Amino acid sequence: MTRPTINLRDLVVLIADPSPYISMIAHSILRGFGTSKVLEVRNSMGVVQTLAGQKIDILLCDARLPPHGGLSLTRAIRRKVDNENRMIPILVMSSDTRETTIKQARDAGANMVIAKPMSPASLYDRLAWIALTPRQFVDAPTYFGPDRRFKIEGYPGGVGRRKGDHIVDVAEEAGPALAQDDIDNLFSAARMGKD
Amino acid sequence: MADGDDREARVFTVETRFQKLARQPGGVSREKALENAAAKIEEIVPSFDDWVGQELEALSSLIKKAQAGDAPSDWIEGSNSHSRQIRDAGTTMGSELLTFIASSLCDVLDAIEAGAECNIESITCHIDALFLARQRQFRGMKPDQVPELTKGLRRVVEVVSTTPN
Repeated sequence: MTRPTINLRDLVVLIADPSPYISMIAHSILRGFGTSKVLEVRNSMGVVQTLAGQKIDILLCDARLPPHGGLSLTRAIRRKVDNENRMIPILVMSSDTRETTIKQARDAGANMVIAKPMSPASLYDRLAWIALTPRQFVDAPTYFGPDRRFKIEGYPGGVGRRKGDHIVDVAEEAGPALAQDDIDNLFSAARMGKD
Repeated sequence: MADGDDREARVFTVETRFQKLARQPGGVSREKALENAAAKIEEIVPSFDDWVGQELEALSSLIKKAQAGDAPSDWIEGSNSHSRQIRDAGTTMGSELLTFIASSLCDVLDAIEAGAECNIESITCHIDALFLARQRQFRGMKPDQVPELTKGLRRVVEVVSTTPN
């Protein structure tokens, strides 16, 4: 089977992570994917300043980004009506993969959540999903962001979803850490009438 | 948007610059992209050991100060920050064991921050385990290859997390 290819060469990627070393790892992975321009900032103010100063194509944002966290920043970017970056793809990186956190990221307007520590394959597949899977935006009184009811059918071309995978049941708010597949599935829970 | 609570949701299609550019022909295949990314990670592997060493020294220093009653008031958050970084980098850099131990230490520190009794030995045993996992003979090992260690640390987390105030 021919697997779809994404072209990341001309993109400008902004990594927002408080740790210089973790940023360097993400930076290196993106360089390996062929991305030529990767910027790094350590806090939310850095994100705001960078977005105001130049065109950024996608934001990779740590969930614990100082001072108020990446989800708060995501919400702020989405909610600000006159923000020209309001619809920028936002990929939240989080080591806290409890169901409640993933739902909060989704409801803040994140396009996807990637679990830390992240692998190159995990990052590539999520970038490919964002690039190749059409997804509408919703502008509602209480939410602005990517349609939370989208359904993940697997990596375009059939990669990234195992035969036995299933839609997860949404249980109580607190719970154990989720695997990446389950994180992805939580983004589809609303359409299934489970959230 | 905030002043129209009775407004119906508007759903619209967006094609971002990211999507436009990423869909352009000329990209490398997934397999090649992953191969290249792995090579890029290999390039920074030599720096990983030094970096972990620095993080561990900083962590160890904070805990020694805490033991001596000389630590800053936010020493738990500081320790957690070092531990989180090791956890978040370990597996990507080929050390799943470091990630496991650091994750376990984060659980202990989170429990203490949440009000559990501060048992300093529950922290020092994790730091000893991190120093151990950094040694040459443990490199590349997975947690299930050292069951005594992982079982012991799990038990420590369990005890710390369930100790009443």
